[in-house]
Amino acid sequence: MANEKKQTGGSLLFNVMQQHGVEHVFGYPGGAIMPIYDALYDSDVQHFLCRHEQGAAFSAIGYARASGKVGVCLATSGPGATNLITGLADALADSIPLVAITGQVATSAMGSDAFQEIDIFGLSLACTKHSFQVTDINELPKVLHRAFAIALEGRQGPVLVDIPKDIQLAEVANSLEDFSKLKNKVKLPPANVGRAIALLSQAKKPVLYVGGGVGMANAVDELRAFANITGVPSVSTLKGLGALNPDDDNYLGMLGMHGTKAANIAVQECDLLIVVGARFDDRVTGKLSEFAPHAKVIHFDIDTAEINKRRAVDSAILGDLKINLPALEIPLAITDWQQKCQQMKNDFAWDYNHPGDNIFAPAVLNEISKLMPKNTCVTTDVGQHQMWSAQHMIFNDPSNFLTSGGMGTMGFGLPAAIGAQISRPHDTVIAVTGDGSIMMNVQEMATMKRYNVPVKIVLIDNAKLGMVRQWQDLFFNGRLSETDLSDNPDFIMLASAFDIKAKTISKKSEVTDAINEMLDHDGSYLLRVQIDAKENVWPLVPPNTANDRMMEST
Amino acid sequence: MKSYQLTITVDDKLVVLERILQVTRYRGFLIHGINAEVNTGTNIGTIELMVRSERSIELLVDQINKLIDIKEVKVANSTAK
Repeated sequence: MANEKKQTGGSLLFNVMQQHGVEHVFGYPGGAIMPIYDALYDSDVQHFLCRHEQGAAFSAIGYARASGKVGVCLATSGPGATNLITGLADALADSIPLVAITGQVATSAMGSDAFQEIDIFGLSLACTKHSFQVTDINELPKVLHRAFAIALEGRQGPVLVDIPKDIQLAEVANSLEDFSKLKNKVKLPPANVGRAIALLSQAKKPVLYVGGGVGMANAVDELRAFANITGVPSVSTLKGLGALNPDDDNYLGMLGMHGTKAANIAVQECDLLIVVGARFDDRVTGKLSEFAPHAKVIHFDIDTAEINKRRAVDSAILGDLKINLPALEIPLAITDWQQKCQQMKNDFAWDYNHPGDNIFAPAVLNEISKLMPKNTCVTTDVGQHQMWSAQHMIFNDPSNFLTSGGMGTMGFGLPAAIGAQISRPHDTVIAVTGDGSIMMNVQEMATMKRYNVPVKIVLIDNAKLGMVRQWQDLFFNGRLSETDLSDNPDFIMLASAFDIKAKTISKKSEVTDAINEMLDHDGSYLLRVQIDAKENVWPLVPPNTANDRMMEST
Repeated sequence: MKSYQLTITVDDKLVVLERILQVTRYRGFLIHGINAEVNTGTNIGTIELMVRSERSIELLVDQINKLIDIKEVKVANSTAK
């Protein structure tokens, strides 16, 4: 039923958000978005003031990824809008449903190089799934509904809506009518399940290669049923972690540049690769021409453009994983292969024995994941701590491990954890970060303080840009260019300035008590874990190298 | 290097032409000719694009098809150069 009462564009925005179930938004006000913030004043939508628009975008992404809902962020024109761009790019690379609202100068001033005017609509073309600029108030309701629909439709992604100030102020006789879902214009060809079943039933050494698409499709149960019934040995991408049952004997861990030896060797030896919601990213494949060289490929995906993009497939199964995965659930007679994979898993299991008193980051992260409450959500920043988290922490659901995969954006972890905590107030949220990454959005500690967000921060501190330092040592003759951070601020003092309880540990003997103290603390906490700056992430597949030629710890 | 002519039918929305040009460049195709009828007030636009690349044209067609306002992409001809 249409509601003919007039309202401003700004007011309409929040009403449409509520129609789409939006309860929380993240943003930062400014001149060209003031009418929207004025409408917010009367709205039931709860706004979280972040301290940088990039923080707002990452909090919205963390919120979306932890909850499965659309994340929403707001920013003003010009620098506010450009500060969102890294977040939009991150959401595009990782297929995260996000609606970003930007204020724009008034339509009469557009194109005149007005104060705080930037062509964010033009800038959005390369970093959004779609974008809109609204220059007619009567178009606003339809555009907003479409923005939410497009963010969630098919392969999810970020949508930007740029709203000039006069449109925010203009009145519209709306129309809070029911929105209709965007029709999927892409007619996916019927999946050729017959071909895939033939490939699967003939395979002697199949491997299941699982990506972030499983979580996005809400198809964890279907994936696990498929893995159980077929018994296919399985590997996961960074973004797929948590999709497979971590206790499954056939699960071999993460593949790729920092993948497990068992996972990478199994993929290199397999005769059939069953790819589910993954895209042959270069960090997964290593040297593409030598990736899984003996394998035929079955590729499940929602995005037609991923089929044959980097690897030619023998069978493409396009569409919803929840529907398509059960069609291939057939028991297989692959006992020898399963046993070989399980043997490799045992032979190449992680070794947490580490000489000396200094803390071994992989052991700490493994211990945290054993001690943390069920359904804890872990976010990471980017670098060594990220790869150690992926390797050594155990996740039961993709929504419990939020990391910047495709874009690899430092500064992601803290604001993403804030968003995750707001979406899941009853779950523990831990941000694992590094001493380089945390400084990239450290201002978001103020957001934690303002809203009493009880995120636990685990700061793996080697006083280095560790991953770059590792590569400089390994591939640039140890020429350590601009990777020393020994002049970092006092992180304990820094945390205390934001009312975050903090503690430093540097000896193995301190680890267990410190983790428990952090987890038991009622409120935010920063645990600074000092580690040896020379520690490297192993194994490592060097660039442009086949995945079975990995470098290992000596 | 192969040359292709694409005929793209679009919902005639703001910046649809820019979107196509951006994707074409980003995905590794050189545009050497263009004929566009957009913003005609008919709601349907037509863009003919002559492109060259070492890459398979299917890669570009799939990416253009992903754009929200695209109705149809036809590869009209394909000639080796």
